[in-house]
Amino acid sequence: MLLELPSKPALSELKRYARRLAPALAMVGIFFLTAAGFFVIIGKPPIATLADMAMFAVGDSYSLSETLVKTTPILLCALATLLPARLGLVSVGADGQLFMGAIFGTAVTLAWRDAPLAILVPAMLAAGIAGGAIWGLVPGFLRGRLDVNETITTLLLNYVAALLVNALVYGPWKDPGNLGWPATIAFPAGSLGTFFGTRVHAGLVFAFVIALVLGVILARSRWGLELAILRGNAKVGRMIGLSFSRQAMVVMALGGAFGGLAGICETAAIQGRLQPGISVGYGLTGFLVAWLAGHNPVIAIPVSFLVGGLIAAGDSLQLFAKVPAASATILQGLLFATALAVGGVSARLRRAHG
Amino acid sequence: MTSRHDSPGPAPLVAMRGIVKRFGSVVADDHVDLDIYPGEVLALLGENGAGKSTLMRVLFGFYPADEGAIAIEGRPVAFGSPLAAMAAGIGMVFQQFSLIPALTVLENLLAASPRAPWWQSRRRPAVVSTLRWLQRLAPGFDAERRVQDLAVGERQIVELAKVLNLDPRVVILDEPTSVLTPAEATRLHGFVRDLAAQGKAVVLITHKIADVTACADRIAVMRRGRLMDESRLADRSPAAIVTAMVGATVAAEPADPPPAAPRPLLRVSALSTSQDDTSCPAADVTFEVGAGEILGIAGVIGNGQAALAEALTGLTRVIAGDATLDGASLAWKGDRAPPPSNAVAYIPERPLDNAVVADLDLAVNLDLRNLAGQDFFAGDAHRNARAAALLARYDVRPQNPALAARALSGGNLQKLVIARELSRTPQLVVACYPTMGLDINAATAVRRYMFEHAARGAAVVWFSEDIDDLLAYAHRIAVLHSGRCVGAVPRVNASRDGIGRMMTGIGSRTRAA
Repeated sequence: MLLELPSKPALSELKRYARRLAPALAMVGIFFLTAAGFFVIIGKPPIATLADMAMFAVGDSYSLSETLVKTTPILLCALATLLPARLGLVSVGADGQLFMGAIFGTAVTLAWRDAPLAILVPAMLAAGIAGGAIWGLVPGFLRGRLDVNETITTLLLNYVAALLVNALVYGPWKDPGNLGWPATIAFPAGSLGTFFGTRVHAGLVFAFVIALVLGVILARSRWGLELAILRGNAKVGRMIGLSFSRQAMVVMALGGAFGGLAGICETAAIQGRLQPGISVGYGLTGFLVAWLAGHNPVIAIPVSFLVGGLIAAGDSLQLFAKVPAASATILQGLLFATALAVGGVSARLRRAHG
Repeated sequence: MTSRHDSPGPAPLVAMRGIVKRFGSVVADDHVDLDIYPGEVLALLGENGAGKSTLMRVLFGFYPADEGAIAIEGRPVAFGSPLAAMAAGIGMVFQQFSLIPALTVLENLLAASPRAPWWQSRRRPAVVSTLRWLQRLAPGFDAERRVQDLAVGERQIVELAKVLNLDPRVVILDEPTSVLTPAEATRLHGFVRDLAAQGKAVVLITHKIADVTACADRIAVMRRGRLMDESRLADRSPAAIVTAMVGATVAAEPADPPPAAPRPLLRVSALSTSQDDTSCPAADVTFEVGAGEILGIAGVIGNGQAALAEALTGLTRVIAGDATLDGASLAWKGDRAPPPSNAVAYIPERPLDNAVVADLDLAVNLDLRNLAGQDFFAGDAHRNARAAALLARYDVRPQNPALAARALSGGNLQKLVIARELSRTPQLVVACYPTMGLDINAATAVRRYMFEHAARGAAVVWFSEDIDDLLAYAHRIAVLHSGRCVGAVPRVNASRDGIGRMMTGIGSRTRAA
C-alpha cells in the first residue's frame, strides 16, 4: 500500500523487489532504533556510539579482519544447524560438535606434533571433522532409529563435550610448562595459514566454499529435494522409497562435521592451543543465524558477517568506549529479536495481502 | 428459468441479493440471489467450482462479497469474520476439517464451546452438554479418542457436533456425505430432516443427487457462478437437476464386462497387519484379483481399509500372510520396508496427508515416482514440461506447475494424485475412494482412467464408500468388516441390501472367491 505504482511491467518488477527488500530495511531501521535506545539507557551518546560500532566492525582493515575471524565459526555453526533443519530436525548441538572437533584435531596434533605440516594439517582437519561428525551422528542415529528427540540429545551432548575438554586440559593433556594454566601445548605456528598478517585463516575459505556448494546442492539437487519431501511429508517419502532414518543420520553427521571443522580451525588458528572457552557461544549464535537466514546456506553468509561484525565491534567498544562487556550480547539479542519480529510481521502482511 | 419461492410460507431467514465474488479475474459468484427459510432443507447443487461453496463462505463471513447485500430477518448484515456470523446464528461444516488432531474429541469440542473458560472444565454438566449432539449423531462414540486416530467419516461427525454445539439457526453443510458410508449418510439425511423439523434452516452443499432426493425440500442449482434453477424438489426430476448442473446430460458410461477367465495376478493370502497402529488392522484377509479384473471393496470407513491398502503397497508391516503380484511379494515382512514397486499405483485416502507434499510445487509432486532414477542435478525444465502436460491432460486446475500443492482444492488435489499414479503403466492399481469430492464429470473421468488399466490387463483393487458405484462398475465386490474380508461375490450376484448387511457384520462369512 506504500507502493502504489502504475502497473507497467518494469515498475511491477521494481515493486516486487521493493516488497522483498522492505522487510530487510525495516529490520535494520528498527534495530538501529532499539540499539540507540539501549545506548541512551546506559548513558552513551547513541549516534556517536553507533558510528563507533560501525567503525569497529568494518571501518579499517584490522576491524574488518577481526569481523571475518568471528564470521568463520559462526557461519560453520550456522551450516551445522541449517542442514538438519532442511530435514525438519532442530539441532542445537553445534557447540558440542565444535568442542569434539577441537578435541579430535588436538589429539592428532599432540600425537604427531613433529610431523611435517603438510601431513599434520590435513590429518588434524580430518580428525576434527570426524569428531564433529561423530557428535552429530549419535543424535542422528538416536532420532532416526529410536525416535529420540534430537533437540534434547544435542543439547545434553553439548555439556558432555564441553566438560570433556575441561577434563582433558586440566588432566592428561595439560602442558606442565603452563604452570597450572589449563591448556595443551601450543599448536605449530601457521598451521592454517593467515592472510595479510591478520588473524583471518583458511577456515574462512572453507566456510565460504561449503556454504556456497551446500547452497547449490540443497537448491538444485535431487538430494535437496528428497530432504524437502521427507520434511514435508515423511509418509510420502516412505512411499517413494526414501528413508527418513538414513537421511537423519546423514544430515546430522554432515552438520556435525561442519561444527567440528569450526572447532579445530578455531583451536589451531585463533587460540593456538586447546583450552576451555574456545567457543564464546558460537554454536547458539550459529543456530540463530541459521533461523534468520531461513535455513538458506547462501543467505547465512551475509547474516554471519553481520553478526560477526556486531561481536567484533562489541569487543572493541568494551575496550575503547568503556561500554559494559555484556553490550555485545545485548545488541545481538536485540538484532535477533528485531529480525524475528519483523520477519513474522512481514509474513503476516504477505499472507493478508497476497 | 428461475422460479421464485412463491408459496405464502414464512419470510426468509436469510436473503442474499446480487452477491458477486471475484478471485482476481475469475468470477466465482455472479449476481446470485438466494433465500434461505427456517424449517427447510435447501440443497445447493453444482459441480466443482460452480461457486456454491464460495457463496456459502460469503454468507459465513469467510470472504467479503464484492457486491450485493445479505439480510437476516430483513435486517442488513455484513459479517467481517466467521466469528461474527456464528454470533448471528450461522454455522458451517467445511469439507476440510478444523479439528486439532493432537487433542481428543472431547477436548476439541470443549475448546470450541462458546462459553469455554480459559481452562478446561471437565465438570460433568459441561461435558454432558458438550457431548449432547455427538451422542445423538453417533451413539456410543468414544470421545476420549484423539482426532488424529479417527477415520474421515468419524471426523465429519465430530465437526458437525462442534458446529451444532453453537446452537446455530442456519446450518451449512459442505459436501457432508462425500466421506460417509451409505448407513452413515442415511443417518445424516435423517438428522438433517430432524434439524429442519426443529425449525433450523439447513443448507446442504452437494453434488450428489442421492442427498437431494433423500432430504431436500428445495433445490438451488449453480453452474459457473450463476444460479441456474431454483425450485421445490417435488417440481424437478433427478434428470432435470443433473441437466441444470452439468449443462448437458451425462451419458451413463457402460460398465466393462469382467474378463472371462482371468489369470490370477494379485494373490492375498491370510494377510494380517500389526496391531500397533490405532486404526483397525487387516485380519486374515484372503482374496485374488485376476488380470483385467476390478475388485471393489465396500465397507464402513475405519474397518481396515487403510491397513489393507497400505499392506498391499508395502507401507505397513505385515505380521502374517503375504500379498504377491505375479508371484513377487509386495508385503513388508521383515525389518526393512520393500523398495517401492513401479508395478503398483496407489491412490490413498486423504491425499493432502497421504499422497502429496503440501509445501512443494505441483511439478515435484507429479514427479515423485520418478525421482529415484533421476540425475543428481536433474534441473526442472523437463519436470515442468512434464507437469504442464499432465495438468492439462488430467484437467487439474489451476494449471500452474509452480503452485504449491496445498493451494489446490480437494477435488483438484485428488486429480493431481490420479495424474501421477495412473499416468504410469502399473500392473496393480490400489485406489482408496478415488472419486471422493469430485463432481460427476471428474468422477466419470477418474473411473475411466482406472478402468483403462483394467482393460490393459492390470488388477484393480478399488475401495469405495459408494455401493451404487461398486455395483455399477466393479467386477466382483468384497466387504471389509473389522479388518476381515467377508466375501467377494461377482457383481451379478451382489445386491445393495446384501452388501449393506455384510458391512454391518451381519451375515455369514462367505467363502472367499
